[in-house]
Amino acid sequence: MVRFLRHYGTLMGMVAIVLVFWALLPDTFMTARNWLNITQQVSMLTVAAVAMTVVMVVGDFDLSVGSMASLSGIVAAVLFTLGWPVPLAVGAALVVGLAGGLVNGVLVSVIGILPFVATLATLTMYSGAAFILSGGKTIFGRDIPQSFADFAKSGLPLGSLGDKPVILPWLTVLALAITGVVFVVLELSTYGRRLYAIGGNAEAARLAGVRVTWLRLTAYGFTGVGAAVAGLMYASRVASANPTQGEGLMLNAIAAVFLGMTVTRHGQPRVVASVLGVLVLGIMDNGLTQLQVDSYVREVLVGLIILLAVSISALGRRATGRR
Amino acid sequence: MPQLALHGVVKTYGQTRALDGAGLELRGGEIHALMGENGAGKSTLIRILAGLEMPDAGQITFNGAPVALTSPAAAEGLGLRFLHQELQIVPALSVAENMHLAHPYPTFGLGIVRWDALRAASLAALTRLGVTHIDPKTRMADLGPGDQMLTRIAATMIDTQGSLPWAYVLDEPTAALTGAEAERLFAALHTLRAAGQAILYVSHRMDEVLALSDRVTVLRDGRLVSTLMRDQVSRDQIIQDMTGRDFATLYPPASGEEGGAPLLEVRGVQAGILHDMDFTLKAGEVLGIAGLSGSGRNHLLRALMGAVPRQGQVLVKGQGIGQSPAAAWAAGLAYVPRERRAEGLMLHQPLADTVALPHIPALSTAGFVRRSWITRLVARLAQAVRLKAQSQAQVAAELSGGNQQKVLFARALAGPPVVLLLDEPTRGVDVGAKFDIYATIRGLTAQGVGVVMVSSDLPELIGLSDRIGILQGGRLTQILPAEGLTEGALLALCYEKEVV
Repeated sequence: MVRFLRHYGTLMGMVAIVLVFWALLPDTFMTARNWLNITQQVSMLTVAAVAMTVVMVVGDFDLSVGSMASLSGIVAAVLFTLGWPVPLAVGAALVVGLAGGLVNGVLVSVIGILPFVATLATLTMYSGAAFILSGGKTIFGRDIPQSFADFAKSGLPLGSLGDKPVILPWLTVLALAITGVVFVVLELSTYGRRLYAIGGNAEAARLAGVRVTWLRLTAYGFTGVGAAVAGLMYASRVASANPTQGEGLMLNAIAAVFLGMTVTRHGQPRVVASVLGVLVLGIMDNGLTQLQVDSYVREVLVGLIILLAVSISALGRRATGRR
Repeated sequence: MPQLALHGVVKTYGQTRALDGAGLELRGGEIHALMGENGAGKSTLIRILAGLEMPDAGQITFNGAPVALTSPAAAEGLGLRFLHQELQIVPALSVAENMHLAHPYPTFGLGIVRWDALRAASLAALTRLGVTHIDPKTRMADLGPGDQMLTRIAATMIDTQGSLPWAYVLDEPTAALTGAEAERLFAALHTLRAAGQAILYVSHRMDEVLALSDRVTVLRDGRLVSTLMRDQVSRDQIIQDMTGRDFATLYPPASGEEGGAPLLEVRGVQAGILHDMDFTLKAGEVLGIAGLSGSGRNHLLRALMGAVPRQGQVLVKGQGIGQSPAAAWAAGLAYVPRERRAEGLMLHQPLADTVALPHIPALSTAGFVRRSWITRLVARLAQAVRLKAQSQAQVAAELSGGNQQKVLFARALAGPPVVLLLDEPTRGVDVGAKFDIYATIRGLTAQGVGVVMVSSDLPELIGLSDRIGILQGGRLTQILPAEGLTEGALLALCYEKEVV
């Protein structure tokens, strides 16, 4: 029973949440339109959480993903105002993400600063850089090219339901694609297996011939790019860039990975599990908003859900860990 | 003299019966060894003594009167003290503070510590144990594991109003100790015994048990097999009682004759304390390395693996190898590290992952891992080393010490290896698993694999090695044939002053 709860508690909780919302919102919740909407709402968080999973697999974490997301949006927007074409500006923002991630990697892996301290410092630096570049202002309106803003508004037509067309938003498609890529990298590639080995026992991995320093560094590079992508998706969605718009991303991404870890067999961070964690958070958010629950109450509830899931997992582990 | 006896103890966990009629008698003024293979029920019996588990059936009596050990506090109240393999210490605090962790600090009142009184109390306790070389002001982290253990024992002798201990339970106390450290511990145990204390001593090291114990209790499959008095105790008897089998000898005979081209050449290697390391290993040969603590014994294999910076040349089959663990594995060196949990295993991941890790390049195509290859490889190796596990997906943390070590042997065999580097290969491993490991080593040498084995277990070193190198102060002072060497002679060589 305990073992069952430990592995399936979070999943059962998710089903329960869905059922409750379905009962309370019989007309709007369990509709294709709403679910497509949810996938779009969580697409940025999905990318951030999947990127966070990569460093957490190694046993590290990255506090700077939120400010990196803001910074990448600002970089792209500032370049738009300078007249750069969309692909170039987006590419530049991604390069900034990669560079920022590698800086984190060097600090943690080469210099040996604790991840908490190193990424806390870069969090404020990247956030400050976003303010400097934007002059503290939101960049919006005519400065943002139409094609960039349109990306988030359109999608892949899936056919039609009744007389309304069903469209899978491009943001959802992108989030799925990135999840797929990271899944392949972590679960199937030799690179990913080595990252898991480092997370399992860094010294043992080193003695077994794994280049621990280098791989840890590159993991941060992945996360930096992921954060930049999430930031660009956000900027496209709101057709503007603001130096604080990525703020909520970091804590929610970490929360999603932790929620996911309650599901996996050995409590490891796994990509698919992280996406599940994102969905739990996204469904909560969607349902509670529709029920017009006050947003502060919503935050308390989301926090409680996370504590509940992790507590059940921890208690389950304690009960089954000793023979 | 106080006396604590357990009779007919039964303890069942779910389906498994961990204890099925186990018993034990502790008497003041005696050193009592508890022996048995891993899984024989030693730990469970100790957990019951410690009040951490309640037996399903059986009697416990103290000086003839029945008692119940319902909690750790009850066990402490009866005067029992437990020293675990992993010591509970606070490395950053001083010896004196560590000794007072479970006692009230002497104070001026208002929580202001009287440091002089704290140190004096610690010093008095250490002196009572006959330990004079530890300064209470030293940081705990600066002590070796042996001195840390002595400090922990001394801590139980600090005068407080509570009950004074009369019995000590030591679980594998010498597993992490060097010879000299162990000697100091034994001296302290003798002091305790002379003061009328009882000691329950759990160890896999036969020689220690034979030298120390007044009485030996052997468990097998949760049952009390025998309690032998000092004059009845013999190595063969204990092994037979533990295993239920009659081991003619623990060490299988050398099979092939070594010879041919050198597999491993070490030329002028220097790393940390090690210097002027020169030796050659031939195919099918086992080179044992003996040395005291501080002789560089712990660094040699790490240096060969490239895990610590080194100078000089290491050649495998005549080819120089690069200076990284990856290069060493690629060249055919396979390493079984000393600290299997810290340096070898990924404890909370499937055991197959640990086995496959160094061999990922050979187990993948175009950057993608081939799961089916790994499954097949691990299945074959698990059989070769006689690994007992539920499945390849079982996490290493759930395995016994002997099976954890077999996981690392499986990993070392996967290459297949040219030269096997073994650091304390049977430390904390029960007799049955030891025998399997020795058989594995012999099987490899028969196929022409060379082995360098560092061990502080001298009978093992003599029993398995073809030649033994003596390491003193970071230098190999001599390499001599193992045949005909006795433990005493080998130890004497290790202690010998260097001839200048």
